[in-house]
Amino acid sequence: MISSINTMESGLAVCLLVIAIACLFDRHLLRACWLLILFALLMSVAWWYLNAPWLALVEVVLGGVLTGGSFLYALRNLPSQRSPIVRYDHTQVGWSHRITRVLLTVAWSLMLGVAIQFLLPDMALSLTEHPLILAAVVIVSVGMGAFALHRHLLRRLMAFNVLGSGVFLMLAGMADTRPSSQALISVGLVIAWLGSLLGVLLIRRLVEQEGSVALDGEQSSTRLPS
Amino acid sequence: MSSLLLAVALLWPLVVAGSTVWCAYQVPAHQRNYVSMLWVSAAWPALLLAYVGEFQWTINAWMLGGYWELNALSRPWLAFTALLWSIAAFHARGYFAGEQRQAQAGDANAQRRLQRLTLFWPLTLLGNLLLIIAQDIASFYLGFALMTFAAYALVVHNGSPAATLGAKAYLVLAVIGEGLILGGFLWAAGTSDTLTLKGVRDTLASADHGVWMALLLWLGLGVKAGVIGLHVWLPLAHPVAPAPASAVLSGAMIKAGLLGWLNVLPLGAQGLSPEMTQLGNIILVAGFAAAFGAALYGVWQQHPKAVLAYSSISQMGMLTALVGVGLVTPSVWATLLPAVILFAGHHALAKGALFMGTSVSEHMPKWPSPLLFLLIALPGISLTGALAAGMFSKWGVKHALYEFEQERIILLLTWAAIGTAALVTACVWRQWQQRHQGGSDSFQWGAWLVALLAALVTPLWLPLPEASVIAPPLKEWVGIIWPFPVGVLSVVVLMLALRRSAISPPPSGDLWWVYSPVAIICISTARSVAGLCGKGKATSVALALKSERAVMGGLLRGLQAEAWMRQHGGGLMMALAVLLALLLMWEGL
Amino acid sequence: MMWRFGLYDPSFDPLWMTHWALAGALLLPIMAGLLGAIFRPSRALPVVLACMPILVAGVLMVIDYQQAGLLRWQWVIGDIEFTLRFSGLSALMLLITQWTAAAVAMYTPGYLRLTYPDLNNRWIWPLMGLLVSALSLIWLAADLLTLYAALEIMGLAAVGMLLLSGKPAALKAGMRYLLLALVGSLAFLLGIALLLSQWGSLNLAVLVELVEQEPITWVAAALMGAGLALKAALFPLHGWLTPVHENAWTPVSALHAALVIKASLYILILLWSILLPETLLAPRLIAWLGMLAIVWGGLVAWRADSLKTLIASSTVGQLGYLMVAFPLLLGPGIAPLPLALAWDGFWLHLMGHALAKAAMFMAAGNLIIATGESSLNALAGTSRRLPLSLLIFGIASVTLMGLPPSAGFTAKWLLLQSMVLTQQWVAVAALMAGTLLTAAYVFRVFRYSFDETAPRHDYQPLAPGMDLIALCLAVAALALGLLAHLPLALLHGGGA
Repeated sequence: MISSINTMESGLAVCLLVIAIACLFDRHLLRACWLLILFALLMSVAWWYLNAPWLALVEVVLGGVLTGGSFLYALRNLPSQRSPIVRYDHTQVGWSHRITRVLLTVAWSLMLGVAIQFLLPDMALSLTEHPLILAAVVIVSVGMGAFALHRHLLRRLMAFNVLGSGVFLMLAGMADTRPSSQALISVGLVIAWLGSLLGVLLIRRLVEQEGSVALDGEQSSTRLPS
Repeated sequence: MSSLLLAVALLWPLVVAGSTVWCAYQVPAHQRNYVSMLWVSAAWPALLLAYVGEFQWTINAWMLGGYWELNALSRPWLAFTALLWSIAAFHARGYFAGEQRQAQAGDANAQRRLQRLTLFWPLTLLGNLLLIIAQDIASFYLGFALMTFAAYALVVHNGSPAATLGAKAYLVLAVIGEGLILGGFLWAAGTSDTLTLKGVRDTLASADHGVWMALLLWLGLGVKAGVIGLHVWLPLAHPVAPAPASAVLSGAMIKAGLLGWLNVLPLGAQGLSPEMTQLGNIILVAGFAAAFGAALYGVWQQHPKAVLAYSSISQMGMLTALVGVGLVTPSVWATLLPAVILFAGHHALAKGALFMGTSVSEHMPKWPSPLLFLLIALPGISLTGALAAGMFSKWGVKHALYEFEQERIILLLTWAAIGTAALVTACVWRQWQQRHQGGSDSFQWGAWLVALLAALVTPLWLPLPEASVIAPPLKEWVGIIWPFPVGVLSVVVLMLALRRSAISPPPSGDLWWVYSPVAIICISTARSVAGLCGKGKATSVALALKSERAVMGGLLRGLQAEAWMRQHGGGLMMALAVLLALLLMWEGL
Repeated sequence: MMWRFGLYDPSFDPLWMTHWALAGALLLPIMAGLLGAIFRPSRALPVVLACMPILVAGVLMVIDYQQAGLLRWQWVIGDIEFTLRFSGLSALMLLITQWTAAAVAMYTPGYLRLTYPDLNNRWIWPLMGLLVSALSLIWLAADLLTLYAALEIMGLAAVGMLLLSGKPAALKAGMRYLLLALVGSLAFLLGIALLLSQWGSLNLAVLVELVEQEPITWVAAALMGAGLALKAALFPLHGWLTPVHENAWTPVSALHAALVIKASLYILILLWSILLPETLLAPRLIAWLGMLAIVWGGLVAWRADSLKTLIASSTVGQLGYLMVAFPLLLGPGIAPLPLALAWDGFWLHLMGHALAKAAMFMAAGNLIIATGESSLNALAGTSRRLPLSLLIFGIASVTLMGLPPSAGFTAKWLLLQSMVLTQQWVAVAALMAGTLLTAAYVFRVFRYSFDETAPRHDYQPLAPGMDLIALCLAVAALALGLLAHLPLALLHGGGA
């Protein structure tokens, strides 16, 4: 029983992790978007697995359909004739930038790992005892790192979504799916969807006004204070 | 009654000054009478006031509180001052008649000069009157300053380069003097919290640094009184000023310094400090140095008024020496004071008459020349003590000094009288050489004759205390008279001896020609130092600007970190979380 | 420390009227906002009428608090517990929120009429209502779920409001703000997750009892600290603040600078007081960052070219004063006197800054409307033409500079006393330097405005009351310094 659960859970965790990372680091935006939807669906499986069917439903509706739909809406309807490769992120970042993000990601996973080690003493014995939590820690760290790394606004928004799912997964994994944590997660999901929607609408407005250059985010808006 | 008269006496000069301004705007130039009888009358109420009696006035509303007095000192002073101003005004009416004609004919320069003179004459008079009756510091200083600065217009009157130089010398020294006086007054007033001249006198006698305050005041007032070293403006200013102005400058205003000394120095006070006695000795020596030095230098002068100016320095030197006696041997002072007043009064009128005489000799009336020059010489002879009031005044001094056995002083004074006689002789001689017929005016010679008469009979009209004027006994006459013929003879001998030689006369103003290059060197040094400082300032400003630009540039470059922080918000948040966690763990574990 | 936040058992239950007042304070703003969206008021009078019941509700709650002491509401829905507490601090914050927001709301119609008459500007009203409700909820919330939800609603409403101006720069700044705010909330949520899984409760009063010093607490505190610091624009995470304020509508900037960032700061100090009451280094770090913030904000403001950038950067510096107070409030063995002084100074400064900054933004907004430009150069000649707006700017600056008798002065005085008592000389020096820098940038504005070389003659006239409202706020900030005992009495009422 235990081993089968472990297999199931481990498989889920590995899938989540792989898809999350693929989604975070795929420069092809449309593909990343589909990966995000897939990730949301897997998340709802994870909720089902964690005995939170209502949450699974909410995740499918909010995370999968609505958020994914929002992203697709943003991408499908981007005025690509102005810049035909708008669905591909060409932004380059410097090596020092990447290295600091990698280091920060490692530091975050260590920090969260330490916390979890104290929280769930059995994790100290075997890291694979709670593969979902472990995956969530990695997803959170990598998501955070990716958020700090990327310049492209759409990718940052996706990183935020992945990060949010990781946080919810950690919450559910550590604190079980008791009512208060379910409430927290529901609020978080709603907020994440609203935030994504707002972001997507914003991105569309920006592209309409300034072209896809505006999507490079920080790069083009580094105006000096004086 | 007396208060009313006081008010009239002080306001009348103001009214006169106002009337000249009014005339300047209201009366057409060709009808303008600059030296009208109204203008001449400026000093009359003051003269009347002097003969009303002794009074005191306290006026709290006046500045810091006015305290005015007509006492044994100020009353005769007021009398001879006002009399001299009145006579000089009459003389001026004649003296300026020609200039007035020019002005009425449309000479703008003459108009301007006369306008200036007639405006500032009553103001100078007002200052002179105020300082005589004032017994509080503020009034005295106000009067003194008003007189000093208004008199600048009298000196500079004719606008020639010599007049400009004289006026410049006068103003430079006047400013120095005002500064010294103000310093002394403020120090004394601050030390003992007093506002009256009497309080200053007591302070000088008793305060720790009284002698320094006394020195300041002595030097400051000494500028006016022609203390040696500070006298240089007199021989520069007198020859260039109009004769009536010279008369009041040398007769009345020069006495203001003396009056100041009499008011503030602790003369005759018992128990003076040794330092104060030392100061008295210095004053004594300075006085005699002036008396002899001026005589020796003055006889060489070409201009009769310059000779007279040196005579004034000499005479004031004698009075200075007497003031010194008052500090060195205070006991003699009570007896000496009336003699000093008589001396001053007699000198004022005599010197006034002599100065007016110089203008008479330039515009001789059609009188026999010997008679005229005898009359011109008369006040001088009186000044030497050989005649009339001069004898009384000399004897008054001698008598007081005899009483306290100051034979040395008497001897020196007698020798100084030889110098006086020599100067008078030189003056008359120069006037004879430079005599000129024509252009005489009855006001001119009339006023001169009145001054002459008043000088000769000074003891008769000067309101001195009872029994303070003593006629010299016959056996002393020789002792008083002999310096006159000796002085005349010495000059005659000297002139004959040097007739052939080509010694150029020394310039009038003696030490001025030492002072001014020194001052010019000082000023140019200061200017170059200031130039250096300016350059230093410019360099430091340039340096500061450069460094400011550098700092601002650095700051602006540094502020670009703002953009960096904006760009790396997410990373910074991660780092902050890690940092906080590490800190907490490090502290907790 | 905990009684100061009202985390203790109340003596009395709230009266029935208080329930209505609470409902009014929380729900009426939203309803008023919806009404505003429908009717789009173009004059201040209907806004005043709409604000009136909200203000009355707030005042009623404060009166009840003064009579009954701490008020507490608890509901259990499902198995989830919601807790609200109304302490002296909440009362103060609620009042300042409602009155400042009311002033901003009254300012808004005139502003919109003059600047964006054609735009579809109705959305500002519901968003403003939502923002005020969320803020009120934050001051009252006593469990982490409510706090989280309210914080998120407030954040989204704020982003929405900031985007309303629709300029590309505003959109970009808003996008950055949105992303950072969302991620900051996630860090906050992660902290909550750790706390919930370790202690099993979201109720703050329960947590106070349960929390122990162990790595979970620390990591949670660190995550929450970082997330909230990002949302509160604490140095060096303040980068998003300046462009946001620069490009937003003036009333939105005013509301945001005055209240929204303060809410995150409030939650930060509340949670750290619970989680880290006896820790030394973390508050010290915040304080050091605060000193840097004071200097940095002052320097950036000093060199700023645009008026709104200047004011936004000055917010960064002013937040630094609050950060510097952290080690005076949190830490091992702080003597009661400096603690009390710092506590008073902290909240007084927060309130004074809220009022003054709102007034300053409004004055600057008026200047910008009148001159038509936002750069400092455009101020030339305004000293003659717009003296009142400049005067308001000056009065507000008095509070920011901390000159007597303003609230800024009183607050700084209290903080300085506390710092001297605890011998934190560097902080004292930073405070002084901040004052000098504030004076420098304020007088820079005045130097430009007194420049007479480029006289302009075309000034847009202002709507009636726009200056008056700003003046009221500025004078209120000034008067708060003189009447500081009133709010402080309310603040101390919790201990009675």
